Amino acid sequence: MAVLGDLDALVLARLQFAFTIAFHIIFPSFSIGLASFLAVLEGLWLSTRREVFRNLYLFWVKVFALSFGMGVVSGVVMSYQLGTNWSVFSATAAPIIGPAFAFEVLTAFFLEASFLGIMLFGWKKVGPGLHFTATALVAIGTLISAFWILSANSWMQAPAGFAIQPDGSLIATDWWAVVFNPTFPVRLAHMALAAFLTTALAVGGASAFVLLRDRDQPESRMALRMAIGMFAIVAPLQLVVGHTSGEVVREHQPLKTAAIEAYWQTRADQPQGLVGWPDRKAAKTHGEIAIPGIGNAIQGVSKETVIQGLDAWPREDWPVVGLVYWAFRVMVGLGLAMIGLGVWGVWRCYRGGPETSPWFLRASVLMGPMGFVAVIAGWIVAEAGRQPYVIYGVLRTRDAVSPVGAGQVSVSLLAFMIVYAIVFSAGAIYILRLMNRGPAPHEEAATPEDRAPGSAMAAAGEEQ
Amino acid sequence: MRDIIEGPPGEDDAPLPWRIRLMWFAGLAVAGSAATAVVAYALRALLKL
Repeated sequence: MAVLGDLDALVLARLQFAFTIAFHIIFPSFSIGLASFLAVLEGLWLSTRREVFRNLYLFWVKVFALSFGMGVVSGVVMSYQLGTNWSVFSATAAPIIGPAFAFEVLTAFFLEASFLGIMLFGWKKVGPGLHFTATALVAIGTLISAFWILSANSWMQAPAGFAIQPDGSLIATDWWAVVFNPTFPVRLAHMALAAFLTTALAVGGASAFVLLRDRDQPESRMALRMAIGMFAIVAPLQLVVGHTSGEVVREHQPLKTAAIEAYWQTRADQPQGLVGWPDRKAAKTHGEIAIPGIGNAIQGVSKETVIQGLDAWPREDWPVVGLVYWAFRVMVGLGLAMIGLGVWGVWRCYRGGPETSPWFLRASVLMGPMGFVAVIAGWIVAEAGRQPYVIYGVLRTRDAVSPVGAGQVSVSLLAFMIVYAIVFSAGAIYILRLMNRGPAPHEEAATPEDRAPGSAMAAAGEEQ
Repeated sequence: MRDIIEGPPGEDDAPLPWRIRLMWFAGLAVAGSAATAVVAYALRALLKL
């Protein structure tokens, strides 16, 4: 408490938002991918009637229900926080941000909430066709939700289509420009792919964990192959989309690019720093390993083009360069590791199957949670890199905070830490225990001995 | 959790008539929306908005 008491309300409010958003983003990034995975599994079960797909669905739908619930609970906290800690931001930007959030609730959240009940409790009641429709609608709902949230956040990164009123508040003058603001399309693609990758890694990691115990487990073998297929295709695609996103950032948020790459000086022919220790005070990177002559090419501009360095802005406007620099490298490093895992996995599929290599299985388990780490690192780049603005170039973070005391924010931050530690630890432990147990044959299918000889189930069992 | 989440009908189970299935579909969807609305309005009342 004494430590928190030494910080002012602005820093505490930022800490609280960072803490709660870092928890929150884990769940939607998982549920977006899982919902689509479940729709694919159910579609495959409907078209092939292979029990392995049904059993996988019934296993992963439990994990989805839990992560969806925890995502909703942690998301509600975010919106209330905008009112309690960021009331000036709310008052200023509500005419633009408010409708985006309202559309998210009306078009996405209600869609998910309406059909989640059928997905969980209605398979026997509505039949396979309508149940698949409900699963697909929930999956579409999660993507629509991402659409509106990314639209609102991207508008804060590169605001467009608005005017400033005499009282300082913002109003939309062109809703098309507001919704489809310059950074939005590529950031939506980047986030959606990140969600699919995160889910593929988690599914692959959980399946590999089960296969290390029992390498003949049919559901886990199938799920691992599906996960490998996913990250073998999506991880390289994400590299391309991420690079395009970087180019859009350079165009619309050059200060963020300067922080990401620790470009201290404005110059042509920037070097490409690989690693180092950025020192904001000294305005240099200690121990940097850099490749000269390729920085401009990586930014997608000619060698002669002058790229703005941090020296183009007053020092007090610089973000925390080291944080942005390293968060970016963690994200990119993990992305490259995902590509490597995909290549290795595909190679293993052609060399006796991925489950035959304990080292590949161990690597998959190790990479299981890395999608979440990459997502959080990516959001640190996006949000910390936007500083000192909450709406880039329009509203500074220090001007957006509520007129509340440090004591009040300290108490709510502590309360969040305690409640989150209890609630989310319990949820995470339950999910991990489920994953540890792994998928099992549906109770109606029971054990292999119960499968009628010559039936589809017996055939599936033999095939595995 | 295993008992709450419903699996698909077994191969030997006779399917319900399509009208009943459609009614369940609509009923569960409306119930899901209504439950969400009740929570939202309860939160709003709690905060005296």
